Amino acid sequence: MSLTGLTRPWKDFSYGFLDASAKRELRRKMLKAVAVPGCQMPYASREVPIARGWGTGGLQVTCTLLNPGHTVKVIDQGADDSVNAASIRRFLTRVSGARSTWDTLEASLIQSRHRVPEEILREDQILILQVPNPEPLRPVEPNMSVARQMHADADYGRMWLQLYEQIVRSGRVMFGAAYPSLVHGRYVMTPSPIPRWDVPKLNMARHLTILSAGREKRLYAVPPYTRVEPLVFDDVPYKVEEHGHLTCYRSGLKGFFMNEIPQEDGGALHEVSDSHLGIKAIRQGDGEDVATGDTWYTNGEMGQ
Amino acid sequence: MQAAPTPDALETRDNLTFEAVLWALSRPGEPRALPDAGAGAILSALVDRECRAYADDPEIETLLRQSGASLVPLELADHVFAGLTTDSDLARFMRVPVGDMLYPDQGATVIAPAQIGSGTALRLTGPGIETARDIRLGGLHPRLWEVRATLCRYPLGVEMLFVDGAQILALPRSTQVEGI
Repeated sequence: MSLTGLTRPWKDFSYGFLDASAKRELRRKMLKAVAVPGCQMPYASREVPIARGWGTGGLQVTCTLLNPGHTVKVIDQGADDSVNAASIRRFLTRVSGARSTWDTLEASLIQSRHRVPEEILREDQILILQVPNPEPLRPVEPNMSVARQMHADADYGRMWLQLYEQIVRSGRVMFGAAYPSLVHGRYVMTPSPIPRWDVPKLNMARHLTILSAGREKRLYAVPPYTRVEPLVFDDVPYKVEEHGHLTCYRSGLKGFFMNEIPQEDGGALHEVSDSHLGIKAIRQGDGEDVATGDTWYTNGEMGQ
Repeated sequence: MQAAPTPDALETRDNLTFEAVLWALSRPGEPRALPDAGAGAILSALVDRECRAYADDPEIETLLRQSGASLVPLELADHVFAGLTTDSDLARFMRVPVGDMLYPDQGATVIAPAQIGSGTALRLTGPGIETARDIRLGGLHPRLWEVRATLCRYPLGVEMLFVDGAQILALPRSTQVEGI
């Protein structure tokens, strides 16, 4: 055994930005996260060249998974062309040589902030969600050591109380996004700030979802075919946003999650939030041959 | 614009190995091809000096030493490379750490050789499996599944990666195993 045998050849740049030991740690934690669905696994969270809270958690997971054979799609609030999505996508392709796409059907890794695409994800696709606050118990228990004990005891009574208080005060559950959900009947997780519309898409899905919070240094996962049940009372059913009747003013699509665009006259126009789905619909309208996959929702109703 | 970096052979192997392990663990019971035969590739993708490892095979032990992992008694290990065939193997398997309720991630990952596709018929249910999946696993102690059930009291437990040549089959702690 010699010293050179124990060292690796010198490299001027780590492939995929993260160094090998950072990747190995993320790999170990991702495996544990998959094995215990919904349980938050602590990890070291390295520095990456964007600010904490802007998608560093998702970025580290994507950097670990990337190889030149992958095709990456990056979503910010449904759109592929916003500053955050465009810069993360450019960074990922630059450090890895992977291809990038806007089309959900072509992507193998989908890093997303605040939306799950409308087209049904396949089993060979991995959805990576950026999470600002991974702790669903934070509003009811600010001390995270106590919150960890509550997760250990599956003590979610205060979570239910919070829902009850919202219904009593406001007549409905006030979670607009990040609706707390029970994973595999054991851990309550926050599904990252995706709208209520997107939570049922994670339930018994074909794809693997990895959720990672870089600032909070925790990651968790929802494996394929895993139950994800939003917390609801028996007599107050879970409601998604009432967007089923809205029509996108640009693409004419109907029955998907919409962005509201306020107008000067006080009214509002609606635009489909999954921007590339809209683009594909417009192209199809122009007679182009563009494939659209099956969608989770049809005419505003969730399938199955 | 600068050319994109290309991965070297080791990075490519580690990446593909992890992709296979992640797929296998998210879909328990589904065999997946590893880029290289044996447990060595898994070791190089996962284990480094932050790990505490145990191996019963001197060859793997050498690789562990090179990775920088500390070699520890089995009770302290987070990565265990060991056979699960003999009675003494089984007695040892009973002592593998399963994590605690606060930190279930401290449950160990056990990497063991096995024959995939022949041997005991098992029915798997749990996350990653739509309804149930029937598999055959051979080369393992007949009482292994009993012992595993006592270790894997969800969310505590161990992850098991079975390696057969260049194939891997994984059982996370969330999977229920039933003999058929």
